Amino acid sequence: MATNTESVDLVGDEAATNLARAALFAALVGAFAYVTFPNPVSPVSVTLQVLGVFLAGIYLGPVWGGASLVLYLAAGALGAPVFQGGSAGVGQLVGQSAGYLWSYPLAAAAVGAVVHRGATLRDLDSVGVPTLVGAMILGTAIIYALGVAGLALVLSLGPVEAVTVGAVAFLPAEALKIAAAVGIVRSDAIAAA
Amino acid sequence: MTLSYVPGDSLAHRLDPRSKLLAQAGFAAAAYAYTTPRGLAALTLLAVGCLRLAGGGARDVWTYRFAFPVLALAPLVAGATLGAPWFRPERAATTGLASYRVLLILVVAAGYVRSTPVRESRAALQRTVPGKPGQFLGVGVALVFRFLPLLKRDLLTAREAVRARGGDALPTRERIRLVAVAGVDRAFGRADRLGTALNARCFAWNPTLPRFAFGRADAAALAVGVGLLAAALVTVV
Repeated sequence: MATNTESVDLVGDEAATNLARAALFAALVGAFAYVTFPNPVSPVSVTLQVLGVFLAGIYLGPVWGGASLVLYLAAGALGAPVFQGGSAGVGQLVGQSAGYLWSYPLAAAAVGAVVHRGATLRDLDSVGVPTLVGAMILGTAIIYALGVAGLALVLSLGPVEAVTVGAVAFLPAEALKIAAAVGIVRSDAIAAA
Repeated sequence: MTLSYVPGDSLAHRLDPRSKLLAQAGFAAAAYAYTTPRGLAALTLLAVGCLRLAGGGARDVWTYRFAFPVLALAPLVAGATLGAPWFRPERAATTGLASYRVLLILVVAAGYVRSTPVRESRAALQRTVPGKPGQFLGVGVALVFRFLPLLKRDLLTAREAVRARGGDALPTRERIRLVAVAGVDRAFGRADRLGTALNARCFAWNPTLPRFAFGRADAAALAVGVGLLAAALVTVV
């Protein structure tokens, strides 16, 4: 019996696995929004979304890491409760947090590009700690630059005012996340990467 | 409580998701174009109307409470100055209006989320964005909805395990590391099993999607969306 396969355009093995990883990482960034830790240096508690952005870049590379965060934004816009505090909806992508959210795919791609020195993934054991830290500092800079710019535009604030509202209370915690991310990459527990 | 789809038979539930998305885009554009007391008063009525048509209420808006501190603080920071007169009400009022328009956009978005099931959102995305990028977004979004509760539970389990072993005494950085390692490890495990399962089931770029049809109510929603977009465009040109 003849089988007709013309109408079915199969996804390749590698693409399917990459797609699954990108989607799972997007969900993980969303799940990180629910995990809060007390911040030792600021009254604002720490959520781990930005850590998820760093890890997406580090583990999935610039292409799939960026794609993963695009999925995160799309899912959140369509109603998955993945944004800050479990909120959702298109409103978040044009509201006061717009700058931060839109910067996530760029930051993940930048972190991935610096860590892997290009689009192809390399062994994370061969990446030095200075490269990891530098990549994440670049990622943090992208997130806060766009986030503060978005805040200034959306809420008609001046630059200093926007930094006061959107960065001062949150920036110290980023050092904590960068340190944690280095620990995660260097730990032997993650075998799948 | 988080915002999510609630099954129902309201007008908004019966609309095509694409017309709802267009109406939202129009509303956001209009809110940015008419950030005046009169403009926002009219848009308030429209926003509340949208949420009511979806069967929603104040509880749905409350899910955005994490955005409230920033929205409330921004006008105060904008009004404050170093030196006399210390507080400029007109600057605070400008930012206050800007804060309020964000709130209105969130109200309308809550109406969409409440009235649109994941399957329809996914299909709308896939039909609007052409080719493989559309397929990627559609499949990916569906998977994020599916796996979010599982990964949330993984992280909570890891957290409780750390706590049960006296982890509260550890520095914050170490606690973050322990919880995140467990989360990433589980996510990779699930992703690789899922990837294998997708291949085994002939995962294709062209699956079958639910059928959509624009109805009479959609014409009204589309007209509202296009009207708002046009109104916003008029102020720019």
